[in-house]
Amino acid sequence: MGVIVKKVELTWLDRTYVWPVLQGMSITFGHFIRNLFTSTAKRYTVQYPDMKREIPAGYRGLHELKRFEDGAIKCVACFMCQEACPARCISIEAEEFSDLNLSQGFQEKRPAKFSIDMLRCIYCGMCEEACPKDAIWLRKEYEVAAYDRLSMQFGKWNLMNTYAEADGKEQLTQDPTPSVPRRTIAM
Amino acid sequence: MDKLASLLHTTPAIVWMVGKVVVVFLSVFLLASVWTWVERRGSAMIQDRIGPNRAKLFGRWPILGLSQLLADGIKFFFKEDLVPEAANKGLFWLAPFLAFVPALMGFAVIPVGKSFVCDGVTYHLSVLDPGNGMGLLYPLAIGGLAVYGVLLAAWSSNNKWSILGGMRASATMVSYEIGISMAVVAIFMTSGGYDPSEVIKAQGHLPWTWYVVRQPLGFLVFFTCMFAETNRLPFDFAEGESEIVAGFNTEYGSMKFSLLALAEYSHLMTASALVATLYFGGWQVPFVADPPVLLSVASFLVKMLFFAWVFVWVRWTLPRFRYDQLMHLGWKIMLPLSMANLVFHAWRMSQGH
Repeated sequence: MGVIVKKVELTWLDRTYVWPVLQGMSITFGHFIRNLFTSTAKRYTVQYPDMKREIPAGYRGLHELKRFEDGAIKCVACFMCQEACPARCISIEAEEFSDLNLSQGFQEKRPAKFSIDMLRCIYCGMCEEACPKDAIWLRKEYEVAAYDRLSMQFGKWNLMNTYAEADGKEQLTQDPTPSVPRRTIAM
Repeated sequence: MDKLASLLHTTPAIVWMVGKVVVVFLSVFLLASVWTWVERRGSAMIQDRIGPNRAKLFGRWPILGLSQLLADGIKFFFKEDLVPEAANKGLFWLAPFLAFVPALMGFAVIPVGKSFVCDGVTYHLSVLDPGNGMGLLYPLAIGGLAVYGVLLAAWSSNNKWSILGGMRASATMVSYEIGISMAVVAIFMTSGGYDPSEVIKAQGHLPWTWYVVRQPLGFLVFFTCMFAETNRLPFDFAEGESEIVAGFNTEYGSMKFSLLALAEYSHLMTASALVATLYFGGWQVPFVADPPVLLSVASFLVKMLFFAWVFVWVRWTLPRFRYDQLMHLGWKIMLPLSMANLVFHAWRMSQGH
């Protein structure tokens, strides 16, 4: 079925072409004047490095590995995120830790290595969805760039410190010695 | 001036002549390059954008994006100068100059200010003194030469898109020139001479005696045809991003491309100077019968730059015409209108007005 196109009847004035041109010129001149007296900061364009848009809630940016109050990593190296990752960019090496493991029968795990290849990552957020411990978050940082490929391999300590500065936390370089077991098993 | 002349072992007349040539052509050249900035910033404001504002002079002063001009100039100078393998090399080199030189040359007869007398010698503020026998026929003839620049640039680069653009543009220029000539003939008739100084004198200092009021139809035709003549939108058929890649300058790069772009802007300057001279009283200052020289120069500059701005303004208002529409407009509307204008004014003169 065809669509009936409404035919526009041009008036005599429109047919001269001069009057519509003048109308159009008045519109463009209006824009010109309006922009001339608006400072560049207030125009539509967001001038990126100087101005930044507000990042909406739920934005999936650079990852952070969450930590407890004392600085211990929340991740228990369960490999759920590695399994969920469609880009296969996460690789984890697990280790047992804490003396309590032996003395009190706890089986505590943590990642010895946790690396994300930021060049492969598609920022889909599946790792965040999969994590049972809420230990990995995708937050609002989006300026992830480097001069070489190697520096785009984010290791465990990189990932734990990605938002340390923004949150006002200290930079971590080693796991604190755990004093209290993270996980209590009902005996 | 006498002292300067004796220092340089020449006569004052020659010093004055060389000075005029250098100042007029250099300022038109500079204005043309500044106008690329005006075009970019103006179009940005018209389209609610910001335009070039990142380039900074010595990495410090952005000066409203004007340093972008310098950056572009430096970039063009240092770019590789590619000449296509199959191009006609001689013409390929010649074409940018053939486009650029006529665009500047048209300015030679236009008086930029009132003539003045100093130590019993009359100095005229136009490169060619009035009474040179060419008058306003000269810029029209030189404007016709501009076709060569575009067409040779297109043809010599041996590129099908280029030649399409060049052919369209030259056809446009040639057909609109007739409209221009007819409109200008009406002016020559009513002012009784084709020398720019006579045309300006005939217009007087009162705005309602300027030819834009006395011959509005002629002005409309002349101004519209000037868009075609300078290859500016809505009639810029030398170019066409969507259909013929870039147009006549597809194969051009580095400084040759820059020259072609500058030629367009110099042409724009010459065209707006012509409009100001023919229809807006040239250097005449409204309501001032005998203006001081500097005021007359300022008045001319204001008028010229206003029309140069109108060229930019219209470019960012109207889309490009279709080719057949353009030919229709040129031959079936502009030409009859300018003829009607001519006949009407001839009739009025025969009635003793």
